[in-house]
Amino acid sequence: MSLKDEMKPQRNILHDYGMYIAFVVIVVFFSIATKGLFISSRNIGNLVNAMSYIAVMAVGMTLVIVIRHIDLSVGFLAGTLGAVAAISLKYWQLPVGLTIPIVLALGIIAGLVTAFLVARMNIPAFVATLAGWLFYHGLLQLVTRKTGTIIINDPIFNAFGNGFIPDIKGIMFLPDVHKVTLLLGLLGILLFIRSEIINRRDTKAYNFGVIPMNMFIAKLVFFSIIIAGITWVLAGYKGLSWSAVVVLLVVFLYYYITTKTVIGRHIFAVGGNPEAAQLNGISVKKITYLVFGSMGFLTAISGILYASWLRSATTIAGTGMELDAIAAAFVGGVAVSGGVGKVTGSILGALVMASLTNGMNLLGWDISIQYIVRALVLAGAVIFDVATRKRRT
Amino acid sequence: MDTVTDTKPVAEMVNIRKSFAAVQALKGVDLVLHHGEVLGLVGDNAAGKSSLMKVLSGAYIPDDGEIRIEGNKVHMSDPLDARHLGIEMVYQDLALADNLDITSNVFLGRELVKTHLGPISALDSRHMEREAKRLLDRLKIDIPSVRLLVERLSGGQRQAVAIARATAFNSKVIIMDEPTAALSVASIKLVLDVIRELKVQGASIILISHRIEDIYSVSDRLIVMRQGRKVHDVPVTGTLDEFREEVVAYMIGARDDFSNLEKN
Ligand SMILES: Nc1ncnc2c1ncn2[C@@H]1O[C@H](COP(=O)(O)OP(=O)(O)OP(=O)(O)O)[C@@H](O)[C@H]1O
Ligand SMILES: [Mg+2]
Repeated sequence: MSLKDEMKPQRNILHDYGMYIAFVVIVVFFSIATKGLFISSRNIGNLVNAMSYIAVMAVGMTLVIVIRHIDLSVGFLAGTLGAVAAISLKYWQLPVGLTIPIVLALGIIAGLVTAFLVARMNIPAFVATLAGWLFYHGLLQLVTRKTGTIIINDPIFNAFGNGFIPDIKGIMFLPDVHKVTLLLGLLGILLFIRSEIINRRDTKAYNFGVIPMNMFIAKLVFFSIIIAGITWVLAGYKGLSWSAVVVLLVVFLYYYITTKTVIGRHIFAVGGNPEAAQLNGISVKKITYLVFGSMGFLTAISGILYASWLRSATTIAGTGMELDAIAAAFVGGVAVSGGVGKVTGSILGALVMASLTNGMNLLGWDISIQYIVRALVLAGAVIFDVATRKRRT
Repeated sequence: MDTVTDTKPVAEMVNIRKSFAAVQALKGVDLVLHHGEVLGLVGDNAAGKSSLMKVLSGAYIPDDGEIRIEGNKVHMSDPLDARHLGIEMVYQDLALADNLDITSNVFLGRELVKTHLGPISALDSRHMEREAKRLLDRLKIDIPSVRLLVERLSGGQRQAVAIARATAFNSKVIIMDEPTAALSVASIKLVLDVIRELKVQGASIILISHRIEDIYSVSDRLIVMRQGRKVHDVPVTGTLDEFREEVVAYMIGARDDFSNLEKN
């Protein structure tokens, strides 16, 4: 009666990789429909910059939804924090090196205030953050009332949303291609393959089952091609943008925290069964503060990226951003009931939604049609997710 | 365990009282659990069984009375205190996180850590998986993989995992509140097998159940509760039918061994 411990497939492959496949389909469709314009280096570079602030916010939102809450306030909070950054740079004359820490700290504080309302005052997150939505909407108008749109002239600040990582000069090889980006892409592929191989070897060493070798290789090839493809396209324009670097850093950090650390495990435990978590000594309050604090932090980054991308802070900055982030998270497979969600999934969700918008814009589709298409994709993704996540009972 | 011969009880509750607003759930209850003993706890609905065990596991703080663990008087203000004293409760309403796998549930709140980086601790996942597997093996629980999500387990398997978790950290006392409620026949057998295996390994267990045949088949001793009081406390003897008849008489209030000792 010993444990057999073969690896039972818990979810089918379709569930795990369905959204990746859908993404590839979308890319191929728009590439053909726009006669290659969509996949052009320049367009992809713009697309990445235009989705970065949503992607960052979606990562935070993922964790908020995982612990069974929601945050509606982050759109206008991002707008407000962007305005604070602009004011700090322009009117307080503070350097970027001081402005950014201030904005990040304010974001964290705002998140902790939300957590206080939710965890301490027991206000449902929907209501607390609806109040936050109104509050930051008002605050944004208040701080920008005298000035209107604030133009940001700081070149370092603006580089976050528009700049690209430097390249090595003076190499004749591949003249119009961004070499550093290629190298980073190659490095990324190698690191990915290495970590997958180590993971597989360790798993085997402990006598746990692994996916069959041919499947494993197929997986490695599939993801390597995706990374290589994205790298090649980006390298063909100006290379990797700083906003992409920020997104990658956020993804790595949060991927690590959610999958490899005690804190991450506790976040998911609280999402799955708060009573059980509490009984096992995990403070639901503490996790709530942590998750909303992180949401505030990422909102600040998002606000900075957005203001930097537009090189200005406007009176309507951040409008509806929270809904895009929520949609990205759900398209990326976060479960409405909490406890289930992946950082990588939400990034993919953001990418899918941004690609749709971008592709439909290139095709000149009417904005009303665009909303409807995005609605269908969102609903379809959730239906697909529920249908393929088979429960036993 | 080598402490079976120890005469000091592993857990002792003396004159425990607990009220909820107008309801007197526990009206001065005594309970003794010896080392290596399986103690059955029965009683009608609302008799106070769960309340008594929640007091012992730190979830409820008694209004009055004393708790001793291995002879030492203890104070517990939450389940973590009880856990530190080696008291583990398997809750009636299972305290498992469905979205996590078996290993994560077994180690929930007590994760093994590889390295610390300030506030961030890296999980030692492989080590935990191996330990979880060993634990299930030891209790002869037949589940194909410790990587299965708990939501995919049958009721009996879930209960087995919950019990395994309670035994994972050298607990002195394991409390099970209706571990066989709402389970299929096959699942009940699975759970009872796990309890028997634990008993063979010398664990001290308190088992609440409405199923008298389950109590009969695994318990050494039995306590019957009724309306917040203990009315019967005897070793399990005789045939199942005799046993059942006797227990029911106490449960419905036809007999009462302690009525003269305790009024109201
Ligand atoms: N947290 C609580 N708040 C209010 N009343 C409670 C609470 N816990 C228990 N009670 C009351 O105490 C009494 C004893 O309840 P308890 O759950 O201990 O009974 P039980 O013997 O476990 O019953 P069952 O067999 O139905 O599980 C009941 O009248 C119950 O309503
Ligand atoms: Mg009960």
